Amino acid sequence: MSTVTTYRPSTLAELRDALVDSEGERVAIAGGGSAADWGGAPQYDAVLDTTGMSGLISYNPTDMTVAVQAGMPLATLQETLAENAQWVALDPARAATVGGLVATADAGPVRHTFGTSRDSVIGVTVVLADGTVARSGGHVIKNVAGYDLAKLFHGSLGTLGVLAEVVLRLHPRPAATATLAVPCDAAEAFDLGGRLIHASLEPVAVEYCAGRLLARFDGTAGGVADRLRRARALAGPDAAEAPAHVWDEVAAVSDGSDGDTVVRLGTAPDRTPSLTALIAREAAAHAVTAAMTSSPFAGAHTVRLRGGTPAAHAAVVTALRTEYPATTVCRWTAGLRDELPAWGAPPPAVAVMRAVKHAFDPDDRLGSGRFAPWF
Amino acid sequence: MSWTSELAEVLGRENVIADPARLRTYECDGLTGYRVQPAMVVLPRSAEEVAAAVRVCARHGVPFVARGAGTGLSGGALPVADGIVISLQRLRRVVEIDPVNLRAVVEPGVTNLDISRAAAPYGLYYAPDPSSQQVCTIGGNVAENSGGAHCLKYGFTVNHVLAAEVVLADGSVTRLGGDSPQLPGYDLLGAFVGSEGTLGIVTQVTVRLLATPAAVRTMVADFATVAGAGDAVTGIIAAGIVPAAVEMLDNLAIQAVAASTQSVYTPDTAAALVVELDGPPDDVEEQFAEVQEICRRYGSTKIMVAADADHRALIWKGRKAAFAAVGRISPNYFVQDGVVPRGRLAEVLGRIAAMADEAGIRVANVFHAGDGNLHPLVLYSEAGGQHDRAEHLSTAIAELCVELGGSLSGEHGIGADKACSMPRMFGEDDLATMLRLRSAFDPDGLCNPGKVFPTPRLCGERPGPYRPHPLEEAGVIERL
Repeated sequence: MSTVTTYRPSTLAELRDALVDSEGERVAIAGGGSAADWGGAPQYDAVLDTTGMSGLISYNPTDMTVAVQAGMPLATLQETLAENAQWVALDPARAATVGGLVATADAGPVRHTFGTSRDSVIGVTVVLADGTVARSGGHVIKNVAGYDLAKLFHGSLGTLGVLAEVVLRLHPRPAATATLAVPCDAAEAFDLGGRLIHASLEPVAVEYCAGRLLARFDGTAGGVADRLRRARALAGPDAAEAPAHVWDEVAAVSDGSDGDTVVRLGTAPDRTPSLTALIAREAAAHAVTAAMTSSPFAGAHTVRLRGGTPAAHAAVVTALRTEYPATTVCRWTAGLRDELPAWGAPPPAVAVMRAVKHAFDPDDRLGSGRFAPWF
Repeated sequence: MSWTSELAEVLGRENVIADPARLRTYECDGLTGYRVQPAMVVLPRSAEEVAAAVRVCARHGVPFVARGAGTGLSGGALPVADGIVISLQRLRRVVEIDPVNLRAVVEPGVTNLDISRAAAPYGLYYAPDPSSQQVCTIGGNVAENSGGAHCLKYGFTVNHVLAAEVVLADGSVTRLGGDSPQLPGYDLLGAFVGSEGTLGIVTQVTVRLLATPAAVRTMVADFATVAGAGDAVTGIIAAGIVPAAVEMLDNLAIQAVAASTQSVYTPDTAAALVVELDGPPDDVEEQFAEVQEICRRYGSTKIMVAADADHRALIWKGRKAAFAAVGRISPNYFVQDGVVPRGRLAEVLGRIAAMADEAGIRVANVFHAGDGNLHPLVLYSEAGGQHDRAEHLSTAIAELCVELGGSLSGEHGIGADKACSMPRMFGEDDLATMLRLRSAFDPDGLCNPGKVFPTPRLCGERPGPYRPHPLEEAGVIERL
């Protein structure tokens, strides 16, 4: 039995050395560990733990930008920024590192307005498998000089290189915030969400979870009160203001817990009702309890499967993939990997992805097998 | 058969241009100081024809340059002498406006403004608004990752493109992105947007549409000094307000605007800020009052609030026409596009003024102050023999922005114009890593060669100016 070496660098130089020293070994990159399961299971001889690289590099509240080592937990960063009433406009469910968020392309309900980390990251420093240290972007929010490597690494799941440093643009924390909850089915939720948007009420998040549409409004105290009132008028008598902790339920579905299977997928917004129906139908047919949370207008959905056999989970995911091949399994119930390939049908540009992987990591050292069978 | 005959056969003789007189139309883009006559221009009518033309190029090793409206300001569409220009002007269909899914599908030759026009009946619009939006095309916007006055709040092209059909350098067609931004795998679409035509040619684009904001308020605040206006911008941002736009014009720019259109700007003010807020009415009113208060606190001498939509349009007309207006006060000019951190606006404007004085060259400033994106207009007379001095000053300003922790370019792109300055901003390994991405898309380097990256042919055999490696900055390695 082979032993696994763990590298835990705390500086850029140590990180570079770790990649040089581990030449010939296959390396798995680990951050907060909350997305270790995403996609395929990588083959590795060594683990590169980024959590030692958790420092704040520079923070300019006036410029509303911050540079951190990629292993810093997002929650820690948000605490620091809150002192200046600022934040990174990302609210994922997981306890992730900043680098982990870029590598997984994960996001939470405010993706409706602010997108994912690709829309907040303005610069990166990465270390490639051969020890090359490269940066792109910079410290200013507007910048088109050179290729944007941060985008390329967005969703790379540790297969192109190691994110060492990340520069982010910040947003002011709103003076006031309020959430409207409306019990309804998915079709009504999609319709109402669309009406809130077309009425220019500018909800910062619109989420459909557990039979309720949640719409959150951020802004000035007067502005939020006014919009909440008008949104209630549009939504009808069942609409009510909900406490902030309703968003914890969204996070609970999105993150799942041990024994669950969690699947992430993207669709066109108007597929939300039919996708909801598909999940309910397949879950019932295979005796699995399904929960789902959707950011309908970002077309982002997370499905949590609980109970039932691994084969039943596999059957539901397979049915899902038939219609929506671009699904990512984020959490695998025990035994599911034996029943289900890591990925569905590849995206149209898989040949380009393969070429990019080869250009950045020709020996397939980093996250080897993470995207198998695509590459 | 020669490759030129092959292209004529594949596309039809009436869809290629080889006559030198007609080729001249294509020898430059908005960066008119750089001119190269291509061997041929092709005018495909469909994505299939674009792909067919690229396949001929790939087979014969002929470089190709995609071109939209030719409004680019960095020479991104500058032809290659032994290559072809692929004009996308005939691909100009709005394929679909989908108000339910809040998106539009368009061909690359559709102008930026025509997307918003097509979406307007549904109460929707396309947010990025480069000053040339009446003419510039979405294909060019994708190539350059174009911004505009309102990208401070709404982001850039890359934040608004969901999917693109792309012809790759080997002539194959693929699709980047998709129905949702939440798709597995590398974000190739994100990397492609802003790659300045070096990774492929976009033949169809799916963009996000936004609901038209319920309220818009616009003001012009005058300042007695440029530094005062710069400090006010810093103050607005620091107060946690995100205006839709914050633009600055200095006195020289205001004079130029006054010389060309019906100007609403105060003729003798040292600087003016255009601040626009949009969004829900109550939020906007509250913050609009706060912005006025901040401007006064930083010494604003006069605040003019746009009375109605027509008045607002006049304010914007002056701002957006400023580049062209400069032609009224100077026979020639260079436009720079550097970016500085927003806290350093007053400092950089002071240094630019000092450099201009020293060079004996006038510099007008009209720019996107809210995101630190400068557009210094370096005014000179070709006939007066000032060209070299002006060009030197222009480059020095861009490189000053990098020195202050900013960027060479905020939205115009590197193109042919600033490729030789790239080593100021990026080290050898940074550029080599970017070239790995290029090689994955275009191993033979046929797709818009000579742009973005410095080459010995373009920049001379001299190595770029010295710039410390990140490890060197960290004190880990030394260079003797």
